[in-house]
Amino acid sequence: MQTAALRVFCHWPQSNSTAMIRQCLKCRALTLQQSSRAYGVIPPPRDSEEKEMVHRMLRVDHAGEYGANRIYAGQMAVLGRSKTGPFIQEMWDQEKKHLEKFNEILAENRVRPTALLPFWNIAGFVLGASSALLGKEGAMACTVAVEESITEHYNSQIRTLMEKDPERYTELLQVIKEFRDDEMEHHDTGLAHDAENVPGYWLLKNAIQLGCKAAIYVSQRI
Amino acid sequence: MAALLRGLRAGRALRGLSSVVAAPTATNPQCGSLRRGFRCAGLRLQDESKSDKPPSSTSSSTTYHEHYQARSAEQDTAASASDPAVDQSTDPNTSYQDQSGEQDEEYETEEQLQARILTAALEFVPLHGWSMEAIAAGAESLGLSSASTGMFEKGSGDLVLHFIAQCNAQLMEILAEQHNQVQLGQAEPKKTADFIRDAVETRLRMYIPYIETWPQAMSLLLLPHNIPDSLKHLSTLMDDIWYYAGDRSTDMNWYTKRAALTGIYNTTELVMIQDSSPDYQDTWAFLDNRIQDVVNMATTAKQVQSTGEAVVQGLMGAAVTLKNLTGLNQRR
Repeated sequence: MQTAALRVFCHWPQSNSTAMIRQCLKCRALTLQQSSRAYGVIPPPRDSEEKEMVHRMLRVDHAGEYGANRIYAGQMAVLGRSKTGPFIQEMWDQEKKHLEKFNEILAENRVRPTALLPFWNIAGFVLGASSALLGKEGAMACTVAVEESITEHYNSQIRTLMEKDPERYTELLQVIKEFRDDEMEHHDTGLAHDAENVPGYWLLKNAIQLGCKAAIYVSQRI
Repeated sequence: MAALLRGLRAGRALRGLSSVVAAPTATNPQCGSLRRGFRCAGLRLQDESKSDKPPSSTSSSTTYHEHYQARSAEQDTAASASDPAVDQSTDPNTSYQDQSGEQDEEYETEEQLQARILTAALEFVPLHGWSMEAIAAGAESLGLSSASTGMFEKGSGDLVLHFIAQCNAQLMEILAEQHNQVQLGQAEPKKTADFIRDAVETRLRMYIPYIETWPQAMSLLLLPHNIPDSLKHLSTLMDDIWYYAGDRSTDMNWYTKRAALTGIYNTTELVMIQDSSPDYQDTWAFLDNRIQDVVNMATTAKQVQSTGEAVVQGLMGAAVTLKNLTGLNQRR
């Protein structure tokens, strides 16, 4: 209730001074730290255009985390008992946390999830499993490719939000930046575990990245 | 004297209408007047206690009260109907951005005027059906010329869509109020099936005053140029009902639940228009049965899924046993 009141109070007058906004954000940041909920991550939309834009971004991010989850599930199904198992499991756990956060945000803001979720379910698992069948290097190459695509995607979202109004979207930017950093860490882990040693690395990486771009394009609209 | 006043009123209304009629030649016909109007609408929404439009203030106190009631009803519907309207308009700044400056209170937006006319026209629907005659009668009851029906491109479809938007907004208020009650702990949360049944029943009961002419309205909604809007209203209605019923799903359940509810709602509506039992008891019984069907289906689906998982476990166990027996699991 307090965060709702704070939110209404902070967003109502358009001509707030920056000092007041910072104070509001500090109060809100404190209450956010106390609860791990996604309450107040998205500001209430001013008009339908903004709502459309934000919902589109959240939809595709949610689809992305869902797909990444399934990719790691596929990889674990094949390589779970090998010695790379623990590394993949760790990355998978982080992705699970990301997905949980996006589930919260989507439910809070009544965002429609993409209708292609069953498709990403199967496609992600198949991609993870088939790349893992190429061995540990194959799985790591898949990870590198996917994480690079996701990082690029998050970066472009951050750029869009910063161009529009960084102060309005502060919490959302925080969340996306944190997730982007996690994905970059996964990318580096993949490289560290001999991703580049898989035969046909360049081909595999580009094919997967092309698939990811197509998936992002489609999930934004459907 | 009265004739002079009527002339004044008609003159002002026609001036407003002519500015609207002249605009369509531009590529964005509604933008200019809309932007100005939304500025004034913003002012007026803040200032509801201020006097009404000058034409109505010069008339007697009873008509002023009617105008005020129509105005506040129309403002509520404009506020709620402006959401679908804003989706259609090309102007993104709807509310507070353009408030600086003009204090022109006589001007109302085309949307507000249309909403006012349509709300007044609803009274004449039992008499004239969902038609341009009803809209013309509504316009005349507000003191406007019946030629203002020219504003409504979709004709009587506009009237039906306006009524539906109004009903949806009313339902949302009721559901939000119930939600607040539950949040405050003043009421017990209902079970999902009961909540859905009550919500659909409340919503369908809003059709009872117009039930004679409702088949005509439904057929109007099926006309090709009305389908996008009627689908949009239907989908927002379903989404809202499920949201207040507590659905927070973010996977395919989002779609299946709304599809199921759409099926229930549409079939119950069809049953209602040919129901002649006292207080539509047959309709509500039908609604209960349909909801029970969906609940049963959901339970069966869960059972099938858990059975399937158990079977898979069993098969995996059998496979491992076979591998052990044939020695495939050994490493030599």
